[in-house]
Amino acid sequence: MGDRTIVAEGLVKRFGPFTAVDGVSFAVESGEIYGFLGPNGAGKSTTIAMLTTLALPTGGRAAVGGYDVAGQAGAVRRVAGVALQEIGLDPLMRSTELLTIQGRLFGLSRRRARERADELLRLVKLEEVTARPVGKYSGGMRRRLDLAVALVHEPAILFLDEPTTGLDPASRRDVWEEIRRLNRERGMTIFLTTQYLEEADELADRVAIINHGRIAVEGTPEALKAGVGGEAIEVTFADGAAAEGARAALGDLAGRAQLDGQTLRLYLAGAAEAVPAVVGRLEARGLRPRALTLSRPTLDDVFLQVTGERYADEPAA
Amino acid sequence: MSATTQEAPLVSRDVAGAGGGRRMPFPAQVGMLAWRALVVNVRVPAAILPSLAISLFALFVYKAQFSGVAAAFLPGQSYLGFILPLSIVSAALSGAGVAGQTIVNDIERGYFDKLVLTPVNRWALLLGPMLAGGIVLAAQSAALVLVGLGLGLRPATGAGGLLATVGFAILVGVGFSGLIVGVALLTGNAAATQGGTFLFFPLTFLTATFVPVDQLQGWIRVAARLNPITPILGAMRAILNTGWDGALIVQGLGSGAAMFAVLFAFALYALRARTRRR
Repeated sequence: MGDRTIVAEGLVKRFGPFTAVDGVSFAVESGEIYGFLGPNGAGKSTTIAMLTTLALPTGGRAAVGGYDVAGQAGAVRRVAGVALQEIGLDPLMRSTELLTIQGRLFGLSRRRARERADELLRLVKLEEVTARPVGKYSGGMRRRLDLAVALVHEPAILFLDEPTTGLDPASRRDVWEEIRRLNRERGMTIFLTTQYLEEADELADRVAIINHGRIAVEGTPEALKAGVGGEAIEVTFADGAAAEGARAALGDLAGRAQLDGQTLRLYLAGAAEAVPAVVGRLEARGLRPRALTLSRPTLDDVFLQVTGERYADEPAA
Repeated sequence: MSATTQEAPLVSRDVAGAGGGRRMPFPAQVGMLAWRALVVNVRVPAAILPSLAISLFALFVYKAQFSGVAAAFLPGQSYLGFILPLSIVSAALSGAGVAGQTIVNDIERGYFDKLVLTPVNRWALLLGPMLAGGIVLAAQSAALVLVGLGLGLRPATGAGGLLATVGFAILVGVGFSGLIVGVALLTGNAAATQGGTFLFFPLTFLTATFVPVDQLQGWIRVAARLNPITPILGAMRAILNTGWDGALIVQGLGSGAAMFAVLFAFALYALRARTRRR
């Protein structure tokens, strides 16, 4: 740790009048898993496209492994592996063929490319299915093979663009385990975009939350969640007016109260102890909640706090 | 964000240190991508065989329909030797889509981006599939020539003439594939790429399709004179039916080379447009 392996300074990407990425800055240290979290259309894939040399920044600068993504694209491609959101594998080919071609194009000898293919197939646990065309693989198997293809040239830095989108929970867990293993055993720096809060929370050493092309907040998941204000009591009513009345009744109990439609969230230390007081005040006002739950803050709460929007409510762009 | 303190320069390395600079030689890149395109196409024979089947069908039908009356406009010549080049050229034109379809499939599946992210020479992304297409066309043309021999073709120029005929087919097909590849790269759309192959119809039918060009009348004669396929057919027909005619061969080669050069330039332009970072 300590070296800045991926650095972005004021990175901007415009498509005509639309600004997809609007002055994004961050630094990822060597050996870190850095989560780039945001809803669909937030600018995650555009950022990764610039960092992996597929797109040119409109403004700002970025470097990967010490190489400028705009002026030293070839060098960036040699030090970084990329698995894009769309799994770019030819379904008619077999895994060994795909890996061997990739290895040869990165300058490996025929023999070394074949050996590397075998190593990687063992690593991602696909060595038993090499006779099958890739088109016959499950979504999780294809994703793992895509990961293997990104690793052919033994990159020190790995970019993963939404690596588990579209996968079932079991396959998602497999991919998470693979990512952790690469980071733990090989010290690989991993830049990971995701739209899943849970994924960022599980995997990332640090998280940047991007929304409307800008980084809203950055830090370790624990620090971000702690910053929201400890535990929360969530009270849901039949209508928004009742929730509004509850906020007036309970606002002074909480460090912060957040109203979201029919639901009132009260962030406070010692939430469990405060439940009787909450219930008592609601009864005194004749407000009858439909549900009352106690929860620890999540990255969803962090997102809500820093953007004022509920994460899941973001439209798919 | 606070993380961007100036603890080290943003760009700290020069390119020479990246990955040891190992690189696969360019001809090997082309060969490997051609092999890969061949493997993919052989695994879907339905993508290759229809153009050969249609050309074989047309050869049998045209021969059966016109052989009886051919003596009127081809005195002393074989109608099979006249019509076989048309079948070979039409197979080459319709089969020229192999390279374009390979590329557009790669684009649609995201594999093209994966290749772009390797240190591969951009030209190899174009030349590999085009070489594979040329190999498929050579095999198709050779099959048609063998069928022609089976039907009784006796070429005036012997085995050398048969090889030259296949050579012309490759020139036409690979040249035409430049157009299809260009459309594939520009649009990244399989339907648009498939649409490009339909230019095969005017090229094949607005020419001396069934009778020699000097016996055509009116607008079709003008169209045939303008069609770059006409001199190529003329050269191939002469090679099979009358012998080595230097002037006709030069005209055929010139027309084929010009078509190849123009359409290849279009493909290169499209390649640049597709791989240019925006």
